[in-house]
Amino acid sequence: MADPFSQWKHRTIHDLRRLRNEPILAVAVAAIFGLLLLFIVYPLIRVFAVSFIPDGAPTLRLYREFLGGWFIRQALLNSVVMGVLTAVGGTLIGFLFAFALTRTDIPGKPLLTAAAILPIISPPFVSALSIILLFGNNGLITRQLLGFQEFAIYGLRGLLLSQVFTFFPVAYLTLRGVLESLGGTLEDAAMNLGATRWKAFWRVTLPLCLPGIASALLVLFIESIADFGNPLILGGSGFPVLSVQVYLQVTGMYDLPGGAALAVILLVPSVTAFLVQRYWVARKRYVTVTGKPTRAVLKVVSPATQWVLFAACTAVALFVLLFYATILVGAFSKAWGVDHSPTLRNFGYVFGVGAQAITDTLVIAVTSSPLAGLLGMGIAFLVMRRRFPGREAMEFISILNFAVPGTVIGIGYILAFNQKPLLLTGTALILIANFLFRYIPVGIQSGTAVLRQIDPAIEEAATNLGATTQTTFRRITLPLLVPAFFSGLVFSFVRAMTAISAAIFLVSADWNLMTVQILSQTEAGRLGAAAAFSVLLILIIMAAIGLIRLILGRIFDYRYQATFG
Amino acid sequence: MRARLLLCGFLMCLLAWPAVSWGQDAVVVYSSVDEENAKKLLDAFTKATNIKVRFTFLSSGPAVARIEAEKNNPQADLWFGAPSENHVALKEKGLSQAYVSPNAKELAAKFKDPDGYWTSFYMNPLGFASNLTVLKQKSAEPPTSWADLLKPEFKSQIQIPSPQTSGTGYNMVAALVLIMGEEKAFDYLKKLNPNVQTYTQSGTAPSKAAAIGQAGVGIQFTPAFLQLMGEGYPLKVTFPKEGVGFEAPAISILKGAPRVELAKKLLDWFITIPGQNALTDAKTFFFPVHPKAKLMEGLPAFDQIPTINYDAVWAGKEKKRLVDRWINEVLRAQK
Repeated sequence: MADPFSQWKHRTIHDLRRLRNEPILAVAVAAIFGLLLLFIVYPLIRVFAVSFIPDGAPTLRLYREFLGGWFIRQALLNSVVMGVLTAVGGTLIGFLFAFALTRTDIPGKPLLTAAAILPIISPPFVSALSIILLFGNNGLITRQLLGFQEFAIYGLRGLLLSQVFTFFPVAYLTLRGVLESLGGTLEDAAMNLGATRWKAFWRVTLPLCLPGIASALLVLFIESIADFGNPLILGGSGFPVLSVQVYLQVTGMYDLPGGAALAVILLVPSVTAFLVQRYWVARKRYVTVTGKPTRAVLKVVSPATQWVLFAACTAVALFVLLFYATILVGAFSKAWGVDHSPTLRNFGYVFGVGAQAITDTLVIAVTSSPLAGLLGMGIAFLVMRRRFPGREAMEFISILNFAVPGTVIGIGYILAFNQKPLLLTGTALILIANFLFRYIPVGIQSGTAVLRQIDPAIEEAATNLGATTQTTFRRITLPLLVPAFFSGLVFSFVRAMTAISAAIFLVSADWNLMTVQILSQTEAGRLGAAAAFSVLLILIIMAAIGLIRLILGRIFDYRYQATFG
Repeated sequence: MRARLLLCGFLMCLLAWPAVSWGQDAVVVYSSVDEENAKKLLDAFTKATNIKVRFTFLSSGPAVARIEAEKNNPQADLWFGAPSENHVALKEKGLSQAYVSPNAKELAAKFKDPDGYWTSFYMNPLGFASNLTVLKQKSAEPPTSWADLLKPEFKSQIQIPSPQTSGTGYNMVAALVLIMGEEKAFDYLKKLNPNVQTYTQSGTAPSKAAAIGQAGVGIQFTPAFLQLMGEGYPLKVTFPKEGVGFEAPAISILKGAPRVELAKKLLDWFITIPGQNALTDAKTFFFPVHPKAKLMEGLPAFDQIPTINYDAVWAGKEKKRLVDRWINEVLRAQK
């Protein structure tokens, strides 16, 4: 038995030889590696460098200072607590929806599905305002409906409310995919063999879902501790969290090295969760798609339980509805929250002052998201179906940015791309590159998930039947990848329209974004205008998703269940 | 094949884009004045001088982070707005350059850097905004002194920007230190803790919370209050009789500014009388710094407001120490 290193060496040499015979593959691999190193690794290295070498000589001074003080330790602890609770709450609600929508015959499924994915589009800052209007001291629900005199919205409670609301769709999408691919046949089998419904659920459905649940928990944990919009407004000063401290260290104390050091500290829990997700949970999938029929005959849910699930889902859906209605009302009101006489003034303002930002945002989102979709799909295909040296490294680097908070990426980008020959600051390119490389992970994840589930035998069969490699790719692999392409595309589009933490460092006089406008309007006290911008943002995203589905459906005769996120 | 052609065309467009922005001779501004007011003010400048302006809104923190990260190759020519202590920090980081405008001699000393690194072009006092509906429910009167804020009826009703994160919050702490002396100021702030609902991260969050009734009293600089009152929110603005600080947003010309001559002209114009009157004509709710400029109707005369002689240079120097003390004594004691 050879030792691992010589095994690895042998394999690498073998792969390199193969690569020599496939020049196109070699060029593609080299190009993608070049891009990933330039736009993901290099900016991160710049951030690390600034934090370890703040004044010209290498030192751990910043880390010692931060980890020695109570404040940052408290913030780190808070981040982890918040991450865990959000992950648990979000996964619970996500599972509730996924289970109810795949395993029962409850009415109103299309509406509930919409409610379960809509919160992915929550415009920054205005969402938090909407939460305050619903649940604050003077909130519609807390005060008018429930009659609380004081309801402390700032702190862990308010934060959890808004984070669970924002992130449960991610868990829902993951778990829905898992439950769908499981099919109901195994539950049928269990019940045919005499198991009760409960037993079938506890002993069959749930254990089979566990890898999916663990994966959702970890993804939500990462999203939660990297999130910065919600805690910035709702965390308040009583509940400091690390992601906000990173931002504040840079923007409040003007301390770039300190912010970078805090970012590196924040990377520890987040990358740990990420590694656990990648190399432990992701390995434990039980499911494969074989092409055999999986339609269930029996139902694992009794009618009574079904109605309980329906009631729970409807309650959450109503909350989602209320949330968006609040923003809508704000956009058409004279004074949001106080004087709701209807007016179009806010929209007049948006199309006047904000017209440039609207077109800029659209141009950037429309450019970056197809590129993110294509690149994500390409990387997923290469990683899963081709052999070349550095395959694991490519996959790891390309999804690494998912675990890095936006503020860090934003600062890394200006540090990395403000000098010739890499002068990108002030152009649209820097924004496009940022969105492109930050949001490919979703496309890659869903791409690899799809390919992992599809037996290569299907492709081999096509080849055996006489199809060329290209035909196989075009007629078999590509159409199978379309759903992954779709989710990568939609996700990066949504984020390009709504993200702000990295973009705020990259916008320029020529290229501005709607989210930055929303920030500026809320800062200046024009709440109606901020709400109007948000409504417009939501409408554009919904129209775009519809359009993308239509186009992909036309091209690929694509009838998969839409997944996005 | 067609798809490949499309993709190529697409990439070509991508490469062509940056070219669009080259070759225009416009002064480039990072503006910490909010988008709408910045647009009105800079449009007035363009109209008066025929010099084109391109600007980006960045609140003060991101602006400094940007300017610092770009120092080897500055993208912008000047930083427009954000209180003068931020410009003191910019000067100390060596990111701005000196220019004494010939028009600056009309301005009081507190509105300009002695070496010409920054020049203030408007000012705003700090004030209290009370939500009259909320205070009526609590049977409370709008506070007219710092001491009033300690009253039990304001329990968990006051929002203040956090000095750790917001220049406005720091301005308040520094002003209190100047008014009361440091020990008494920190005693006061600790006593105020139970009445503080939250220390907000943003300097303009308290006005919004007060407007929608989340808080009874918000403390910050006045323009957003006046803006919100104009929109119809039931607010009343009062000033503490012991005295308040004020902000004096400034202009700094950045070190290595690519279009330094245009930047100087912009600074020159904004402190002339026509430039100062633009503040009023644009309905910004900002107070002019030039003694002869006109004041917006409805604004109290600046000498009616009990502003103290706030020292931005001192405040800038003491910032790190005072903020650390605030975190360790006041924030830590909260709840």
